[in-house]
Amino acid sequence: MRMFKTGITLAALAVIGAGAAFAQGIDDPTREPFYSALEGKRVAFVPVAMGFDLTEGWAAGIRSQLEPLGVTFEIRDPSWNTDAGAQAITSLISEKPDAMVIHNPDVQSYARLLKRAEEAGIYVIQVNMNSAYSTDAYVGTDYVGLGEKMAHRLIDECSPDNGGSGKVAVVQGVLTAAASAYQMQGISNVFADHPEMQIVSNQAADWDGTKARNITSTVIQQHPDLCGVVGFWDVMDLGTGAAIQESGKDIFLITSGGGNKTACDGLENGTYSEVVSYDVPGQARDIATMIEHLLQHGQAPGSVKSTLFSPLTFMTKDNIGPGSCWTLEGQN
Amino acid sequence: MSYSDTFAYWRYRLVPDHMLGELLSKRWIDNAIPLLVLIFVVSLFGSLIPDFFGSANVTNLSRQWGEFGLIVLGLMIVMVAGGIDLSVGSTFALGNIVALTLLNVAELPMPVVVAATLAVGATVGLVNGVLVGFLRLRAFLTTLVTLIIVRAIVDMLLLKYSVRIAAAFPDSDAWYYLGEGFLLGIPFSAFAAGVVAIVAHLVLSRSRMGWHVLATGGSRRSAHNVGIPVRRVICSTYVISGMLAALAGVLFASRLGGAGADTGIGLEIAALTGAVLGGNSLGGGRGSAAKALIGSISVMIIVNSLLRLGVTSGANSLLLGILLLAAVAIDVRWLKNLNKVLSKVYVSPAFAALPKAPGTDPSSPYAINDKLGGVELIGLGEIDGPEDVILDADDNIYAGNRTGDIIRFFAPDYTRHEVYAHVGGRPLGMAFAKDGSLLVCIGGMGLYRVTQERDIEKLTDETNRSWVSIIDDSRLRLADDLDIAPDGRVFFSEATVRYEMHEWPVDGLESRGNGRIVCYDPSSRTTRTVLKNLKFPNGICMTHDGESFLFAETWACTVSRYWFAGAKKGTVETILPELPGYPDNINRASDGTFWLALVGIRTPSLDLALKMPGFRRRMARRIAPDEWLYPNINTGCVVRFTETGEVLDVMWDRAGDNHPMITSMREHKGHLYIGGILNNRIGKLKLDGADESWTGPESYWGKP
Amino acid sequence: MGYLGRPTQEKIVFALAAALCIGFALFLPGFLTANNLLNLVRSVSILGVLGVAMALVVIGRGIDLSLVATMAISVGLTMQLLATGLPLAEAVAIGILFSLLVGAVNGFLIAYVEIPAIFATLAMGTLIYGFGKYFLFQLDVLYLPDAHRYLLWLGQGYVLGVPVPIIVFAAVCLLAHLFLTFTRPGWYLRAVGDNLAAARIAGVPARPIIVTQYMISSLIGFVAGMVTAASVASMNTRIANSTYVYDVILVVVLGGIGLSGGRGSVRNVIVGTLLIGVLLNGMTIMDVQYTLQNVIKSVILLSAIVIDTFLNPRDEQTAQQGDI
Repeated sequence: MRMFKTGITLAALAVIGAGAAFAQGIDDPTREPFYSALEGKRVAFVPVAMGFDLTEGWAAGIRSQLEPLGVTFEIRDPSWNTDAGAQAITSLISEKPDAMVIHNPDVQSYARLLKRAEEAGIYVIQVNMNSAYSTDAYVGTDYVGLGEKMAHRLIDECSPDNGGSGKVAVVQGVLTAAASAYQMQGISNVFADHPEMQIVSNQAADWDGTKARNITSTVIQQHPDLCGVVGFWDVMDLGTGAAIQESGKDIFLITSGGGNKTACDGLENGTYSEVVSYDVPGQARDIATMIEHLLQHGQAPGSVKSTLFSPLTFMTKDNIGPGSCWTLEGQN
Repeated sequence: MSYSDTFAYWRYRLVPDHMLGELLSKRWIDNAIPLLVLIFVVSLFGSLIPDFFGSANVTNLSRQWGEFGLIVLGLMIVMVAGGIDLSVGSTFALGNIVALTLLNVAELPMPVVVAATLAVGATVGLVNGVLVGFLRLRAFLTTLVTLIIVRAIVDMLLLKYSVRIAAAFPDSDAWYYLGEGFLLGIPFSAFAAGVVAIVAHLVLSRSRMGWHVLATGGSRRSAHNVGIPVRRVICSTYVISGMLAALAGVLFASRLGGAGADTGIGLEIAALTGAVLGGNSLGGGRGSAAKALIGSISVMIIVNSLLRLGVTSGANSLLLGILLLAAVAIDVRWLKNLNKVLSKVYVSPAFAALPKAPGTDPSSPYAINDKLGGVELIGLGEIDGPEDVILDADDNIYAGNRTGDIIRFFAPDYTRHEVYAHVGGRPLGMAFAKDGSLLVCIGGMGLYRVTQERDIEKLTDETNRSWVSIIDDSRLRLADDLDIAPDGRVFFSEATVRYEMHEWPVDGLESRGNGRIVCYDPSSRTTRTVLKNLKFPNGICMTHDGESFLFAETWACTVSRYWFAGAKKGTVETILPELPGYPDNINRASDGTFWLALVGIRTPSLDLALKMPGFRRRMARRIAPDEWLYPNINTGCVVRFTETGEVLDVMWDRAGDNHPMITSMREHKGHLYIGGILNNRIGKLKLDGADESWTGPESYWGKP
Repeated sequence: MGYLGRPTQEKIVFALAAALCIGFALFLPGFLTANNLLNLVRSVSILGVLGVAMALVVIGRGIDLSLVATMAISVGLTMQLLATGLPLAEAVAIGILFSLLVGAVNGFLIAYVEIPAIFATLAMGTLIYGFGKYFLFQLDVLYLPDAHRYLLWLGQGYVLGVPVPIIVFAAVCLLAHLFLTFTRPGWYLRAVGDNLAAARIAGVPARPIIVTQYMISSLIGFVAGMVTAASVASMNTRIANSTYVYDVILVVVLGGIGLSGGRGSVRNVIVGTLLIGVLLNGMTIMDVQYTLQNVIKSVILLSAIVIDTFLNPRDEQTAQQGDI
């Protein structure tokens, strides 16, 4: 958030400065089309659920960028219920906003609805999880790539060639969630070429810290020489980290998340060894930019499709600073 | 009439107070609160959401409701039978994934997919049913465990097939029709749910199978003891629930086509919420398809609209919780107090001014005497409450008994008796038909005939329903007395349509015209109401012209004459406008005049109270029924009068030893036989100067 | 079964747990170590504490589906207050007050308004969660502030080599047992659960007792929540929406406490908890896939219930009406 504000302030200063430079006044010909393309437009956001760092971060970011331009931004919160999400999209289609930002719970459920939405003349931007149907834009993480990268980090730390035991454990989220499945796919891809790496436990903790903790304790118990653990979500892996800290062993824990302040806190107090951040404010910026772009070029929805994979940041205790992580307004 | 009386007259004539009580006594009033909640929800969100009633929104909502409604209907059936099915959410998810797998991976045609998925749902239901129904496991625990198992199976299927399902876009219009098509302009899923609801309603309310389900839920033990196969019934409810959940899953699969991991999670809670909100009770016994519909629509609209309003998810849950609690709290209180309120407001007195009562001093035609003091007693202590007595050509006496029998006392000395016929209800008025069979009005049952072979046949137990009546007045509640016209038509009185037989004095407190006279035509076997809004019509007796009959209105203290044929057809004429007491049965006398029984004598206090309906209503609300002011039925007499309304003779039992109250009397061969509904005897009195050969049947049908 | 007496469900479940223990001890290296056994009990001790809370309500012929939501929101509130710099004692006191208030509302709705317990607590769970999300927190997960990391002792510490959660579980069990056995409200609670009408006629203040039982369960829920929060340094309020409460009910009913009320004791909860603990621990050691774990777990649970039904058949004459 702080980063945002700084950015916006800088942008504002730049605009004012530019204005000052042309005090005599020639009109910038790009201004009018830009503002009129956005003024009075409606954008709707259907996340999987509000109330966690990713969606709150996206919503805050999009809102702060678009609302000053006269765009109405509204959120329909299905609260972890795919059917409710489908209902929300169905009614949005009949309400016809100008653009929709959709956070898919899986690859299939919304696919047909998104197609219908584009046919109804609504721009559709998918976030963080692409559906089987490609829409105007996808902004988000390449989960398979994320899994591959985390696997490589594990190999770096734990491969017997590098002095580790080669034993690693995987703490998944919900087995059937696509984010979980894609990351696992990435890990498997890499480990297929590294027979020296051994996955001693591959359990799902249902995105729940307590479960993650219990699973990890048992695994550490059974495999005292465990070298590394890969977790699929930093919030859940607070539990994984707690189990590792409790065991007093030096086990490498790598996890991923949106780069919220809790990730930095966790790195600092040693809960995590490394966090891969997909930088939620950056994604929010991408989404908002994409919306501005789509609303300006005015082509029919569905005619041009683009993908923006988010850059990943590997954060460790050593490379983070005060600005590495972001906070939400009101978050402590 | 004074001004205040005039006011009271119009006040109670124009305001239909009795309707409130009748409304509350309806079975469907049970649904009032859930229905009000639904209306509230619709109007609330209808005003908050633009285009709420637009066709797009209604279509979306009803399509989604179709799936949810099916599940709630299934759950309702299980709940009515006293169980609970928590596995519906998982079964729904299983139906979804199985249908998608069969369609996309096995590439089966749509009908096969649907049939196979339903079979899978039925299997899950059967497992539940066998465990809960036959093995007697606890429903809550068992279906909780099957919920987890089925969910785990769904997860395994997902892991195995979700990628292939996601990759496929089946090219089958028939398949998409299920989730996107319309039937008669209604989304297919809503149509399916509607059909299932109608079938469920008909089965539950009209079929043996449905009654078995309701009985099992009402009291499993009693149902078992009367021979209902409770285990099979319970098992089948789970099978139905499983099938409906799977059907909903198929529709969902067709609509979204997504094998999501969270499909159906928490759906059992939503379904349970819908069922309970509609008024279906946990633990069985109370439930209907209408309740399931009302509840499921309410929940659907609340959840969907809160989502549409875009309130934050916290406010969403908060409002949902508050709405649910408020709705159920009101419903619970409503049910708890409904009967209490009903018992207070059902009695709804009307304004009824009686003419001044004639005195019983020596100068009056009703002067008190002790002519009944010397009656001969028949069947003392052996008969209980002979409302009516009648004699056949062989001089045998027939009398009703409180135990539901018609008792026959044998001539000539009437010391022996037998049960002539066991009719099962309280026999009231009786009459012999031309063929010698005995027609009898049975309180609570209707008009019956006992043939000479003692076969008991129902002639009628219902008449045409009047459209303005709230309570169902087609059933005969209190058929009282009858007589037979020369053409064979039976005219009989129904004393009141608002009270059951044992509450008949309460109708007197009300003194509204709640009674009627009904005609049964044996030639066409039809029953029709001929006169309505009579104040407790009671005795009926054919006059000798064959075109009219006399009838007594007990609480109006009058005797009137009605022409059912001839020149004056359809007219009513009051011939005894002011009686000192409450008239009951009327019968022919040998000299062409008529006998009339007065069951009780009017009291000034009640006569006054009848002009004060507000007072009587307060009485009915505030004090116990035992303490109410009732018509006096402890003193009665027999009156002989002519067709023109002239009182010829009055006979009293001054000491009140033999016949304190009299409801009927028959003249037979120079004697008068007297009955009373609260007496334990039949009186026989020698009539001086009467025709010793005259009998009732002969007077009607001539010599055999 | 002779000297063991009638084979109750509790005994069956205990026998199953024992059999599994022996089986795992024989075939799973590393199962029968002191560390693993402590780990086993620790992993289910929070479930056990919640089970005790639920058991008290179930014995009183109720059910508390809002237990987990109340726990999550009240502990979340405490976390939030700690983060704003409130001292520990005050933050905890406010959390406790909040949970007691929720319990009192539950009890009021059930005892005085006479809404069926299952529905009242269900709706309250939704309401409380919504209340928390709308008025109290912005994010679903609330973190324990660094200034209060000493609290982690509650979830991660040891006393004489025994993890603190186990000690909390034991203490809650002991207190609940004493409450049920030696105090007047405890006896009343059982009487109300056994036969509400009879208890009321006998002069038991039935309604206050019902309110009390929900307040106690909320309070124990708060304790369980504090241990949860301490063991993972955060409180994920989203568990309010999860099916966790089913696991709690399962533990209670599995141990042999009938949902029809009046029967059962703390011992039953311990037995049920142990069976679940042994199962989970053994399957985690064997690295059984998570979904398969659920199937195995449920099948074993189901067989426990079926065995009980065969040994203690219920028939139409003895069944209690409305006992679902």
